[in-house]
Amino acid sequence: MSQHDPSDDAERLTRRHYVAGAGAIATVTLAGCSDDGGSGDDGSSDDGSGDDGSMDDGSDDGSGDTSELEIVHWWTAGGEQDAFNALLDGFREANPDVEVVDNPAPGGAGSAIDAVIQNRVIDGNPPSTFQIWPGQALTPYTNEDLLEDIGDSVWDDEMRDAYLDGVVELSQPAGDLVAVPINIHRLNNLFYNVSVVEDAGVDPSTIDSPQGLLDALETIDAETDATPLAHQTQSPWSSLQLWENVFIGQQSVDDYQTLLDGDVEGLEDEVRSALELLADYLEYIPEDAGSITWDQGNDGLIAGDAAFLHQGDWAAGQYEGASDFEFSDDWDMVPFPGTSGVYHSVIDSFVFPTNNPSPEATEQFLNYAGTVDAQERFNPIKGSIPPRTDVPMDEFGDFLTRQFEDFQNSDSQPPTIAHGTGVAPAIHSALDETFANFNGNLDVDAAYEGIRDAF
Amino acid sequence: MSSRIFAALLRDTDGSPATEGESTASDDPEVRTDGGAVVDGADDPSSSTDTADASVITRLRRSRFLESLPFWGPPGLLVFFFVYGAISWNFLISLTGWEGLGAPDYSSLSTAAYTELLSDASFIAAFRNTIALLVVFTALSLVVGLFLAILVDQQIRFENTFRTIYLLPMSLSFVVTAIFWSWMYNPRIGLINVALRGVGLDALTQAWLSDPRFKLAAIIFALMWQFSGYCMVVYLAGLRAIPHDQYEAARIDGASTVRLYRRVIIPQLRASTMSAAVVLVVFALKAFDFLFVLFGVNPGSSADILSVMMFRVAFDRLQWAYGSAVAMVLFLMALSVIGPYLYLQYRRGEL
Repeated sequence: MSQHDPSDDAERLTRRHYVAGAGAIATVTLAGCSDDGGSGDDGSSDDGSGDDGSMDDGSDDGSGDTSELEIVHWWTAGGEQDAFNALLDGFREANPDVEVVDNPAPGGAGSAIDAVIQNRVIDGNPPSTFQIWPGQALTPYTNEDLLEDIGDSVWDDEMRDAYLDGVVELSQPAGDLVAVPINIHRLNNLFYNVSVVEDAGVDPSTIDSPQGLLDALETIDAETDATPLAHQTQSPWSSLQLWENVFIGQQSVDDYQTLLDGDVEGLEDEVRSALELLADYLEYIPEDAGSITWDQGNDGLIAGDAAFLHQGDWAAGQYEGASDFEFSDDWDMVPFPGTSGVYHSVIDSFVFPTNNPSPEATEQFLNYAGTVDAQERFNPIKGSIPPRTDVPMDEFGDFLTRQFEDFQNSDSQPPTIAHGTGVAPAIHSALDETFANFNGNLDVDAAYEGIRDAF
Repeated sequence: MSSRIFAALLRDTDGSPATEGESTASDDPEVRTDGGAVVDGADDPSSSTDTADASVITRLRRSRFLESLPFWGPPGLLVFFFVYGAISWNFLISLTGWEGLGAPDYSSLSTAAYTELLSDASFIAAFRNTIALLVVFTALSLVVGLFLAILVDQQIRFENTFRTIYLLPMSLSFVVTAIFWSWMYNPRIGLINVALRGVGLDALTQAWLSDPRFKLAAIIFALMWQFSGYCMVVYLAGLRAIPHDQYEAARIDGASTVRLYRRVIIPQLRASTMSAAVVLVVFALKAFDFLFVLFGVNPGSSADILSVMMFRVAFDRLQWAYGSAVAMVLFLMALSVIGPYLYLQYRRGEL
């Protein structure tokens, strides 16, 4: 190799040329590919298209007249998924020409859906419609005019009359009607295992204040081996929603509204007193509360190892699924003490994002979601009540029928913090963080400061 | 890096350290002649003197820069845009104050997000926890890994089996190990508390994952369980590269086993320690998934780390600029670990 052989040199030159040529071709091909990708996509997945997207109105190029309806939602757990499928079946029957693309973003209570939807909306590439809490949870979207006003196209007079005012109110956080509520869960429930509370000699229907509940928890702790309150502290939302209900139970819905409007300092004593009582409650929760999910805690109630559970009425679905565990014989529910006239509402809704890939199909779907048929199919399986007040209750079972009566007779239907309708997402998240800390250290002062700073 | 480790593993004690083997290989003239570009450089000046009127084009065509361009150009561009471009863009976003679902406003830039960080209690807690996690987790994993490696290196039976057992946790996803450890730590039915009760140590049972005093320690322990096997493999490779003569020489000089390892063997594992430590530190900075599976986006101030905070601020609160600022802090932390490491490697001629 060390001697200089001209033929060898020439040969090596050609070899090098081949390689160089191949490299050049590869470069050109690569450039060509990325070019193609760019133009084919119409920039919908491009970085800069956030601005482009919001500038052209409504109909996106090429995809405007497809009748593919992409729905993003988080209903992937057993009963929820069945309920959603029942809704889709009904929609397909009513609109056979629309092809539904079911695109779930799994993760309880929307923990994953936010990131998915926000990214797509910022990229100017939203789905046809998506599931979201109404009320303040919509404000990031309404602030940027990312939701179409559906006041004329979907909310006709017939539909408006069928909804209670409080619910309609939540569908128009910025004035325009932008969301169609599909279901309502109640938050201020106190579920209990009938035989456990009877053993302890406690009558839940006579507990008339949050303080009274603490006495009941003490009695159960003293009289039985059961855990008094099947609560979880692994994630903060359960404690947050319990604190909301303690606050309403101790004070009033008006004070709660004042709080939601941001006047925490004016209500310092009230906020602290609710926190103190919550800290007392948390002495009576399962030993492993920090390692379990709410439904694992609820399993304890079903098994007779726990007496009470404060939870939204989605918890009742678990009782329906348990064998030999019947409503009113084995389990029952009272409104959270001090909140009997309140229907603390947790609502899911669908919206019409701007820049919509399928405006017609989306409108058809939202129209359908507001009908009696849709809500009658969806809600009995979901374990929630329909927001329309004219839905026949034949399919709903005893418990939901009673809840529906409570709803129609309720004095107020305030929105919730823990489930997004009451406060903007940034406040909600800061409160979650505060209660995550409170779950660990039960520090009332720190929690009060956290709540004050959050608003 | 990993290929070298496995090469060292396979090599079995052949008497030459891995690094030395490579440097001698690159000095070998036979290997060098095989690289076309180097030979080309050698006969380049002769050809230009032969034809004194060589045109600029010919010289350009012949320049090594242009000839090598197709090889490093495209990957260089891709890395430049998708790594360094993304980092710069992230930094730019952190200056904009971008919130919500609109577009960022690049016209008014300020460092407000960074000054806000300094007075944010949850950032301070997350920063403190991140540092604690990083230091304690790395140190513990290295110590345990070294210990295991020395044990496995004693010509034991079933060595391969043990090696696999110790390395296996590393191959599991964080999601799996997080759920697994949440069961282990369950205060009522978890293995740890049940075992403590079983041997009469009821007083030591704790609510490991909910008590703020133990949360971070519990996480560090679980992560250490997962990564000490990796440290073991790195150290094992280092140990196998140390010639047998040194053990024998130390023995002849009358060194005890402890002294042998402390004075002779462990000092030679510096390179292994460095490379394992860098990997561990970077993993500690990215331990997002483990905490996210255990606690969601709100681990509480006793266990919050920067990567979780970054996600929470960005996706829960839509404060993109603030989240970007947290990301930049994380980036600088990673850089402050990797930078010196790369520089040291460079100084020692290994890059």
